[in-house]
Amino acid sequence: MAGDLAHEAHESTRFYWMVGAVLAAVTIVEVAITFLPLPHELIVAVLMVLMVVKGAGVVMYFMHLKGDARILQAVFVVPFLLATVMILLFLLLFSQHVGIAG
Amino acid sequence: MAHSSHPGRIGTANVGSLGVDSRKLGVWTFIGSEALFFAALITTYLVFAPVNMARADAQNPKEYLDIWLTSVLAALLLASSLTMVLALAAVRRGDMKLFRVWLLATVGLGFSFLGGQVYEFTELYHHGATLSSSLFGTTFFVLTGFHGTHVLIGAIWLLSVFFKVQRYPDSPETVMDVELGGLYWHFVDLVWVVIFTVIYLI
Amino acid sequence: MAIAQGHVGHVSAPPATTVPAGLAGWLSTVDHKRIGIIYMLAAFVFFIIGGIEALLMRVQLGTPENTFLTPDFYNQLFTMHGTTMIFLAVMPMNVGLGNYVVPLMIGARDMAFPRLNAMSVWLFILGGLMLYFSFFAGGAPNVGWFAYAPLTQKPYSPTFGVDYWILGLLLTGVASIAGALNFIVTILNMRAPGLSLNRMPLFVWMQLIVGFILVFAFPALTVAQIELLFDRHFGTRFFVPSQGGDAVLWQHLFWFFGHPEVYILILPVMGIVSETLPTFSRKPIFGYAFVAFSGVAIGFLGFLVWAHHMFGVGLGPLANAFFAGASFLIAVPTGVKIFNWIATMYDGALSLTTSMLYSIGFIAMFIIGGLSGITLASPPVDLQQTDSYYVVAHLHYVLFGGSILGLFAGVFYWFPKVTGRMLDERLGKVQFWLMMISFNVTFFPMHIIGTDGMPRRIYTYESGMGWDLWNLVATVGAFLMAASVLLFLWNLMVSLRRGAPAGNDPWDAATLEWSVSSPPPPHNFDQIPVVHSRRPLWDHKYPEHAGDGHGASAPDPLVAGFEQPAIHLPSPTYHPLILGVGLTTLFFGILYSSIPPLSISLAVVGLALVAFAIVGWVRDSHKDSPYAAH
Repeated sequence: MAGDLAHEAHESTRFYWMVGAVLAAVTIVEVAITFLPLPHELIVAVLMVLMVVKGAGVVMYFMHLKGDARILQAVFVVPFLLATVMILLFLLLFSQHVGIAG
Repeated sequence: MAHSSHPGRIGTANVGSLGVDSRKLGVWTFIGSEALFFAALITTYLVFAPVNMARADAQNPKEYLDIWLTSVLAALLLASSLTMVLALAAVRRGDMKLFRVWLLATVGLGFSFLGGQVYEFTELYHHGATLSSSLFGTTFFVLTGFHGTHVLIGAIWLLSVFFKVQRYPDSPETVMDVELGGLYWHFVDLVWVVIFTVIYLI
Repeated sequence: MAIAQGHVGHVSAPPATTVPAGLAGWLSTVDHKRIGIIYMLAAFVFFIIGGIEALLMRVQLGTPENTFLTPDFYNQLFTMHGTTMIFLAVMPMNVGLGNYVVPLMIGARDMAFPRLNAMSVWLFILGGLMLYFSFFAGGAPNVGWFAYAPLTQKPYSPTFGVDYWILGLLLTGVASIAGALNFIVTILNMRAPGLSLNRMPLFVWMQLIVGFILVFAFPALTVAQIELLFDRHFGTRFFVPSQGGDAVLWQHLFWFFGHPEVYILILPVMGIVSETLPTFSRKPIFGYAFVAFSGVAIGFLGFLVWAHHMFGVGLGPLANAFFAGASFLIAVPTGVKIFNWIATMYDGALSLTTSMLYSIGFIAMFIIGGLSGITLASPPVDLQQTDSYYVVAHLHYVLFGGSILGLFAGVFYWFPKVTGRMLDERLGKVQFWLMMISFNVTFFPMHIIGTDGMPRRIYTYESGMGWDLWNLVATVGAFLMAASVLLFLWNLMVSLRRGAPAGNDPWDAATLEWSVSSPPPPHNFDQIPVVHSRRPLWDHKYPEHAGDGHGASAPDPLVAGFEQPAIHLPSPTYHPLILGVGLTTLFFGILYSSIPPLSISLAVVGLALVAFAIVGWVRDSHKDSPYAAH
């Protein structure tokens, strides 16, 4: 029993290092891509995808939300979606409207 | 009694009718609330970004922000997330020595991040970017400043966990204490993932 | 584990807890029932203060060209009246009732986080006191309860009033978020065995929904207030139009919070009448699932309609159409609820107690407020009516005719449980009818003068506008309302001493709080019940009708069917109160940032208190851990 636990723990430690390495690699790609001579829209799109990948890695593996109780997933995912909706709706509402300066 | 069958530092007395720990449910819900807090701050930043550029006193973030310094900061927080999860894994298998090493490493990385942020703010100040210099200054300092405040709160939280474990080494709540402090810490890192991309890279 | 089947245990003797006597016992309490009482008493005091502010305004408006008040003091009064009634009266009254009743309804011995609960109530009171301190520190806020920019900026509001408004409400905001987290976790995770979500009392359902709305809506207000604070103190320009800031952004952030806030105020009250109407109709609620899920729908849609408060801004046809459409949509789940309540009463054996009268009054008045709300959801109509007395009429029909009448229903319903004595029914009925009539005398004319063009928030008006008569009528009505509240106060005091003993279950109700003594023992339940239906206490009292009405009978919930967990009650502690005082001191330090020596010393003292309280809190939490009981 105890041996299994220790073995599992050892496995998980290796796994965390791997996740950390992947996240570091994604960060390097993120920074590198901003220096490439690509259209701005493309860079933004790629950055958004990479940001979601990184964030999902943190939430799913470091915060262990993957495979955790459904209610915990819900109380995080619902406000997270609401936050996204908030940002997008506000950007839409202010898109025609750059204040006094415009 | 009912709980005596659970050995060591893993307890279940807080597990309720949904089969989850009450404190963990509370922290996750709080994190949901914090997500909306940062969403409102990020929204403000994004709404004002084009207005800033359209004004005569515009300060272009690209000319002020140092991508290399920020990359180092991002690496520090990312590394602290890794050490945090390693601390949790250590305490789960009862390896208290490694647990202390990784937890203190996490706090150390957190304070390094804060030091880097102080350096960044000082540099920006010397280049003329302040809270009142432009809409960029206004929105940037308040957003990243509040993130920094959350890093500080997270570091204090982790230190309080550290001292609680030192003081009460046999508490059945130790693992959950570490897990909860860790959840908040990872969330602060998660916010930085978004800020790093949206404000520094784009 | 705690709820394993098999061994049927009896836990008879509650553990000896050392609760200090007198005031010390209240200041250090972590008992949800005592905290609920503190919430309700404080909310009632603030309700009286807010009412006095309203009376002063009504005197000023009673006759044209009146000079009873100065214009500036009038502005302070309407700001404080709105802020008080919303944040310091109705919200905490809902929280207080919930605090008292929810754990009893779900068969729990306390809230999930008793110390956090204590911190919430102290922060709410300290935040309210901080806000009111502004009267003695250069003048109260005078910018309206939604504090539109740029009026709130330093050049236009040079006193500390706005700063008190920001920081006082930030304190109550922390209290609200902490309280909501507590409700969410308690309701989801502390239910008695068998009490599935599908069997939960509707009052508990509504408190759960409100918990989520609060946790997700308040951060927008917090951010807006922090940005405003930085504008006023640290030279930022978020809401300074002359420097590129945006006054409309304030409105969006404020109403992103402000509209869900409306549902924070009304949903718990909808929960109250969903308990009282079935009890006094002697029928189960009609369409339980529809009432529950229409609450969820209202909560969800409530986040997508905020800009209907801003049609006057000129958001453009697309935005107007979207927000108008979403607002109309909310009428559907609201209507579903109203039809369910009416159908619950239909063919029931109605007993018209004061609580029932208030519940029916709530439905009637809320329908009027709902209908005027539908008219306001239409942009062209709203453009005519916005910022007029028509809006004042509408919001008082939903917030007074809705929330406060419903809260009276709840107070008359649960007062016997809290005190062990009945409120006087005869006085109660007189008071109800006085309230119903005077409420309509006060607020119905405001529809008329609003449509006639009288703007809200004006300090006086000229004679001959056609508003004189109705203003006088409204003022008379307001004083009659005050008389009704005084009658209620009298009823409270008399009944506390001489009221008829209530017994456990004076209304022959169906939910678990009526299964224990009145007032309940500190640990609530000698034995945690096992729930088999939506009406556990009827299962116990009327076994021949037990169950959910589908033919299957249900076992008696009050006979323990599982190994009872040991009774564990946390010890009293002052640390939540000290944390609240520390945070308040720190906030005073922020407020006086322009006077560095004062500011820094306040901040240092505040932080020291917070640090001391946190250390003590960690120690408490170890000492009082549920594991430590064994």
